[in-house]
Order: sequence, then structure tokens, then C-alpha cells
Amino acid sequence: MYELFIAPLTEVYFQKALIGGSIVAVVAGVVGCLVVLRRMAFLGDALAHAMIAGVAGGYLVMKMIFGLEAHAPGMLLGSLLAAIVTVALISFVARISRIKEDTAIGIMYTGIFALGVVAVSIFRHYIHIDLMHFIMGDILGVADIDLWVSAFVAAGVLTILIFFFRHFQLATFDPIMAASIGLPVLMLDYLLTTCVSLVVVSAVSMVGVILVVGLLITPAATAYLLSDRLDKMMGLAALFGVTSVVGGLYLCVWLDSAGGGAIMLFCTLQFLVVLAVAPKYGLLARWLRLRRLVPQQVVEDVLTTVLRHSGPTPVAVIKTYVHDDRGDLARALRQMIQDGLLRQAGEDYELTEKGDVEANNMLRAHRLWEKYLHAIGTPHEEVHATAHHLEHIRKGGAVDYLDEKLGKPDTDPHGKVIPGGSS
Amino acid sequence: MTTESPYVIEVEHLTVSYHARAALLDVSVRIERDQLVGVIGPNGAGKSTFIKAILGFIKPDIGTVLINGGDAQKATGQVAYVPQRGAVDWDFPITVQEVAMMGRYQQIPWYTSPRPTDYQAAREALEMVRMEKFGERQIGELSGGQQQRVFLARALAQGSDILLLDEPFAGVDAATERAILDVLERAKEAGKTLVVVHHDLATAAEYFDKLILIKQRLYGYGTPQAVLQEDLLAKVYEGRLRIFRDVVREDAS
Ligand SMILES: Nc1ncnc2c1ncn2[C@@H]1O[C@H](COP(=O)(O)OP(=O)(O)O)[C@@H](O)[C@H]1O
Ligand SMILES: [Mg+2]
Repeated sequence: MYELFIAPLTEVYFQKALIGGSIVAVVAGVVGCLVVLRRMAFLGDALAHAMIAGVAGGYLVMKMIFGLEAHAPGMLLGSLLAAIVTVALISFVARISRIKEDTAIGIMYTGIFALGVVAVSIFRHYIHIDLMHFIMGDILGVADIDLWVSAFVAAGVLTILIFFFRHFQLATFDPIMAASIGLPVLMLDYLLTTCVSLVVVSAVSMVGVILVVGLLITPAATAYLLSDRLDKMMGLAALFGVTSVVGGLYLCVWLDSAGGGAIMLFCTLQFLVVLAVAPKYGLLARWLRLRRLVPQQVVEDVLTTVLRHSGPTPVAVIKTYVHDDRGDLARALRQMIQDGLLRQAGEDYELTEKGDVEANNMLRAHRLWEKYLHAIGTPHEEVHATAHHLEHIRKGGAVDYLDEKLGKPDTDPHGKVIPGGSS
Repeated sequence: MTTESPYVIEVEHLTVSYHARAALLDVSVRIERDQLVGVIGPNGAGKSTFIKAILGFIKPDIGTVLINGGDAQKATGQVAYVPQRGAVDWDFPITVQEVAMMGRYQQIPWYTSPRPTDYQAAREALEMVRMEKFGERQIGELSGGQQQRVFLARALAQGSDILLLDEPFAGVDAATERAILDVLERAKEAGKTLVVVHHDLATAAEYFDKLILIKQRLYGYGTPQAVLQEDLLAKVYEGRLRIFRDVVREDAS
């Protein structure tokens, strides 16, 4: 136990990874909620890729002008510039040509990413950037400067989001109303894009270019399955971000795997678990809801059976006539009593007034369908069974249509009376 | 407020285009105070565009929209808006109460949270549309009519004198339609001006004081009797004349 959980905590590299990762995960989760709700995920990915060109540019400029090697603030500024240029190019191309935005994003970010890769390899004797480190991230080798940068970014971005929570909420939910009450919608868009860029830049050094978008959207999407309010969703997303980092780091130590990969793997598994068991929007809940639903067919069969039996009907009789291979009958009876269609009379069941009306409608549908089947020449022995199946088709005026078409008959082919229609 | 003009909304020579296609062409309308005005026209006629232009959300290619004598684009908060159903993300994590509260956002300074008076106002607005019992529901968990009423509550909570509604009766049952109309009429009596996009010609004459008939251009503006003319409708709703003969005839009787 000690070996598994406490021992890693005593290592400095693990502590730094834990702190740095958690800071980034909190802010990425919170911003990620807006990214998910605005369907901007692809943009986050684009920003991460564009960054490499910015880092190379920042490195190069600082080295040439000031002779500084791997100057972190310079590279950070370069990344931000690259992100802004990418966004500007994307919206420019999407606006002035017939090319749609998703395509423009695809073109621009791969282009700028390629530019970065080429620049790094051309100047490889001059600037020392490890591409692999960049693409995969290196959370176990977090430098102190990275910690400081991410702490400042997180503090700044969170402050903005908390102060302007309502503005972002409204501009995301209903930009038209936001503009009509005088919110600077366009400015808010730029502000959010800047926040996303900052978060992406500070997260890349930990989980790498490829996985950063996952850290941005997966915790947010996980929280989305659990919350009906944006503030709650943001809180949960932050929490899921942190649990991903903690869980992923332990996974990474135990399995001796890549840090970024382990974090995202944990994060994704966490999402899948929530997707399965979320109380309201989860798959299990959905399945249970569907199961709990009493099939209309069973309800209708019970109604006609009780009507035909005329008077209190024992369960045994209902069981013989109602087709129930899924075992819904007991539930259906309970539901029907609740809905005021049936009444319990001792051990037996009888129709309430409402149930009687419903049942007569059913019977009318059944007998009209029989009449119709007879009229179109269905073999005699098939008429009843087929009509039994068809009687459930009553929406959209089907029954009235039959009545009209058959000349408003009084009796069915067996000579039984067709009850009048009522709704 | 800046002028004593009897018109609250003045639209002059309004042209709006999307990608070189004019959605609205040279539309001029003046709407008086305290009116319930219907906007009718076929799909794609530019009704939503018209609403968004009055709201100041779309910049016209040419022409002006004046709200109480001032430019619509600067008249922030004077006009409240109920969006078309299809324009809302019903999966958005937001509750009924929060949507109503959005109506108060323009009154809440950015540095404070909603105050007790704001909660009170949001609650009263929900009561007006009889949705106060659903405060904690997520908006996707309501029926179509209830959803419309929530957004109506938000518009009422804004306290604006002008309300724009884009197809509030789409996809609601007859009883709810009545209930919504009831709220609209009460709002009118309280001195508000309402502009409502409506798709059902059969009820248009009964519901509205004035009708605006548009299909890219303005085909008619005036009392229902003046606008629901067979020749006008024939021009706007090509080829579906037979249905509208009944509308016109019913109206005449
Ligand atoms: N954002 C948009 N971009 C391009 N075309 C649009 C846009 N919004 C509306 N249109 C076009 O403008 C015309 C009018 O649309 P709209 O105002 O929504 O009509 P309505 O509300 O009467 O159905 C339509 O032809 C529509 O295709
Ligand atoms: Mg429309």
C-alpha cells in the first residue's frame, strides 16, 4: 500500500507533476465547458498544433536578438502570436472564400504545424527543441518555470471566467439576445479564444500537442453528462480534470508508461464510466427508462380483454388473452390503475369510465380493421390475427379514414357491433 | 423617448443580404405604440431576418431601423426577444430559473451577483406565464409550449417596452397557443408593443391588430382586412391559393 500510493508522493518530480498537472487540468476543464458548448473543440486542437511554429519563432528571435537560449517567456509569447495568427487566418479564409470553417481550420493548422516542424529541423543546430517532447509532452519533467507559467495563466483565466461568467453564459447560449442587451459579443469571442490559447499553451508542455485537446474537452464532456447548470458543469469538469491527472500519474508510475498518455487514458476511461452510469443522461439510465416504459400494446390488449369479458375480470383471464412475453403484465396493470384506466375489484380488475372509453375506441379500431381486411380479400382465418396487430395503428386519423371508406358500417364481418367513435 | 413620435419602431428602406442574396429588399414599416403586430409570409420570406434587424443584431446593407427614434444598433436593452425554437440549444446546461434570470442580466452590474430583487423579478415573470413550478428543470425537459413560455418569461423579465417573438406558436397545442396569446394580450394592455412572427393565416386576423406581409419585399401592412386580400396572398403564396380563399372568405363573414 505504502509502496503503491505514498512512495511516489515523496518524489519531487511526482509532486511537481501532480501540482502542475492539476493546475492545468482545473483551468482546462473550466474553459473546456465553453469550448464544448460552443462546438469549438477543433479549434483547440488547431491552436495546439500551431504552437510549435510559435515556439520555434520565439526561440529563434530571442536567441538572435538577445542571445538568450530557450527563453521561456519569449517562446510563450511566440506561441500566443502563432495561435492568434492561426485564428485570424482561419476566419479570413472562411469569410472571403466559399471554403467552410472546418476545412479552413484543417488547412491552416496543418500548414502552420508543418511550418513549425520544418523550421525546427532546419535550425536544429541553432535551436534545441525536442520535437518528440513537444508532441508527446513531458509531465514528469515539469520545470519550475512551467509551473509558474501555468499558475499565472490559470489564475488569470479563472479570474476572467468567474468575473464574466454571466457574459460568457449568455453569449454562448443566445448570442442574439446577448448583443441586443449590449454585450460585446465579438469581444467576448476574442477573449475566450485568447483564454483557450493560453490554456492550450500552458498544457502542451505537460501532455503534448496531440493530447491537449483531450484535456480540454473530455473532462468538460464528462461533466456535461452530469449537470444541468453551467456553473455546476464547470466545477465538475475541474474536478474530473484533477482526478484524471492524479489517476493518470499513478497509472504512469505503476505501469512505467508515458505520462501524458496515461493521463488521457484515465480521463477517457473516466468519461466512459460516467457515460455508462450517469443518473440522467447515461446509457444505463436510458436503458432502464426504456425498460420501465410499459408497451402500449400490452395496455391496449388488457383494455380490450376486460371489455370483452364485460365485468370484473380475473387475472387468469387477462393472462390467457394478453400477449406478454416480456413479463410486462404486472407492471402494466399497476400503471393502468395509476393512470385511471382500471380499478381493482377484489381479486379482479374492471374498467373505469375512462378505461371504458379507451377500450371501446380499441374495439372499434379492431372491428373496423377486420371489416377492412375482409373487404380487401384477406383470407378469413387471418382476419382476426392481422386486425389484432393493426388495431394499434390509430394515430393520424387512421380509424376515421377506415370508417369513412367502408361507408360507416354498423357491424364487423362476424356480425358484431362496431362501437361508435369518441375521443 | 427622444422624440414624441407615435411610432416605436420605424423601418425605412431596409435591405439585408446574405452573400449577395437579398433576404429583405426595400422594406419600410412604421409600427405604433401598444399594438400586437403579426408578421406573416412563407418559409424563407425573411421574417426572422426582419426580427433580427429590428433587434439591431444584423447590420442592414442600406436603410435604417429606429427604436423610439434612436438607431436600433445602439438601442441596447430596449427590445426583448423570444427566439425561434430551432435556434435554441435545448441540451444547454441551464435551468428554467436561470433562463428567466437572463432577462435581468442587463440590470445587474458585471461585478455583482444577481440581487434579491432580480430573483424576485425572474420569479414574477415565471409566474406570469405559469411556469414557476418548473424553476429547477433543465430546459430540454419541457414540452414545446412550456419552452416557449420560459423564453416569454425571460422577455418579460427584461422589462422592455418592445417584444419581438419569432414563431412562438410553432409546435404548441391549441390550449397552449391560447395561453401564450393571453399573456401577449396582457402585455399589450400593460403598454407594450409586440411584433410576432406567425405562420397560421387562419388565425392571423383574429390574433393581431395589424399584419405585416413580407416575402423579401413588403407586400402589405395594415389591418388584417386590408392585408388578407386574395390577390396579395396569391402573389406571396404562389400556387396555394385554394387554401387561402377560405381564409379570405371566413374573414369577410
Ligand atoms: N445566416 C444566414 N446565412 C445565409 N443565408 C441566410 C442566413 N439566414 C437566413 N438566410 C436566408 O435568408 C432568407 C430569409 O431567411 P429567414 O429570415 O430565416 O426567413 P423566415 O424566417 O421567413 O423563414 C432565406 O432564404 C435564408 O436561406
Ligand atoms: Mg424564421
